[in-house]
Amino acid sequence: MVTVIIILTSVALVLGILIFVVNRVVPVKVKGIEKTEAIAELLPGMNCGACGQPGCFAFAQALTVNPDLMAQGKCAVVLQDEEKCEALQDCRGITLDTAEMSKKALIHCNGNSEVMHDYTGVETCKGAALLLKGYKKCFYSCLGFGDCQKACPHDAISIRNENGVAVVDAEKCTGCGLCVAECPKDLIELVPVSAQVTLLCNYGQLKDIPGREKCDFGCIHCRKCFKSCEFDAIVWDKERAMPEFDIAKCTACYKCVEVCPNQTLAELLKPATIQA
Amino acid sequence: MNNLIMIFISMALVNNFVLARFLGLCPFFGVSKKLSSAFSMGIAVTLVMLIASIVTWVINNYILIPYGVEYMNIIMYILVIAALVQIIELFIKRTNLTLYNALGIFLPLITTNCAVLGITLINAKESFTLVESIVASLGGGLGFMLVLVIMSGIREKLNLADTPRAMKGLPIAMLVGMMLGLTFFGFGGIV
Repeated sequence: MVTVIIILTSVALVLGILIFVVNRVVPVKVKGIEKTEAIAELLPGMNCGACGQPGCFAFAQALTVNPDLMAQGKCAVVLQDEEKCEALQDCRGITLDTAEMSKKALIHCNGNSEVMHDYTGVETCKGAALLLKGYKKCFYSCLGFGDCQKACPHDAISIRNENGVAVVDAEKCTGCGLCVAECPKDLIELVPVSAQVTLLCNYGQLKDIPGREKCDFGCIHCRKCFKSCEFDAIVWDKERAMPEFDIAKCTACYKCVEVCPNQTLAELLKPATIQA
Repeated sequence: MNNLIMIFISMALVNNFVLARFLGLCPFFGVSKKLSSAFSMGIAVTLVMLIASIVTWVINNYILIPYGVEYMNIIMYILVIAALVQIIELFIKRTNLTLYNALGIFLPLITTNCAVLGITLINAKESFTLVESIVASLGGGLGFMLVLVIMSGIREKLNLADTPRAMKGLPIAMLVGMMLGLTFFGFGGIV
């Protein structure tokens, strides 16, 4: 018993000393590594992988070689942090249009569609979407199993259980875009952080009006919001018969939100229809 | 000499680590998407296996057996392998950054790879000599690399194939793994 403890301890001790010695003896200086490490310091370090690299250090290495990667908005997380972003710009000698590039995710659904049938299969949105395009009457509805929630490295997405819809917390969302590909209904869109108004519906078909039969809060394509806007910030998308927002022109007067007969339009920071 | 060749072939093909002993299955599926990364993973595993089996042979024969504490071998080997991989990683990071990048995340992953622990335990169980251990670890590592490279080659081609939607990705890879396993059972009669 005692011998075992002594043997194990001494071997561990020897190995520890060996690591220490190797750490001291082998020279630290490697060409270019300081620069990479300095950049890695400024990256978020959460290794979310949204940039397409296996981790933050790998991204820092790619940045060392090619500073333009940052300008392509690969790392959305660092754009949220002004201090780090500025330091990074100084470090790599680039300028970034942060206001233009930093984004947040929006889910274009209010989840109020009626349930068509009970679904007891695999509890993922992708699984549910395979069967009759989902268990809700509206084919475009959020299915609320939280595939996007699982993909989110920042815990920004939650599921409102009362109507089974995913909601993005605009404060926590960094706009990394990992959730966008997860949604089988393509409900998630990345919009500039300055966006103030959102349309909580994705029913882009002219044939029938979901507001009448499928969902109490669907877009009924009435164009009231388009007509009410005094700043030309809403463009009418004729193909999908839905309003599109020109974020740069929006002054956040919320007139369109007021006139919307179905409360489909919502102020972004206070998604009223969802909380109700 | 004959004995050594026997051990090598047995380790590499007949008792292949992945397909016959079912060790190191996580890299088999995780790192077999690209041929280049499968290759570097194979090299990393072979290297670590080789060094680990030499060191653990020394520890087994000069520490564990003389004191009669062979039953401690698993915990001892884990300790030694983890420390070894740390040292190797440190060394490679400081001396050859290109190689470090090529091995990337695989080197720390190998610390907890069961194939590496497996070869040291097999060496101890079969009470191989030092030379036999080295040959066995080389055979095991190269066999591991062979399977990984074959698998990644097939999976690269599979991306282009017209797979049913439900079978895309991992499911079809599992089936391919099954067929690879069956073919390797054909080596069963050699040794």
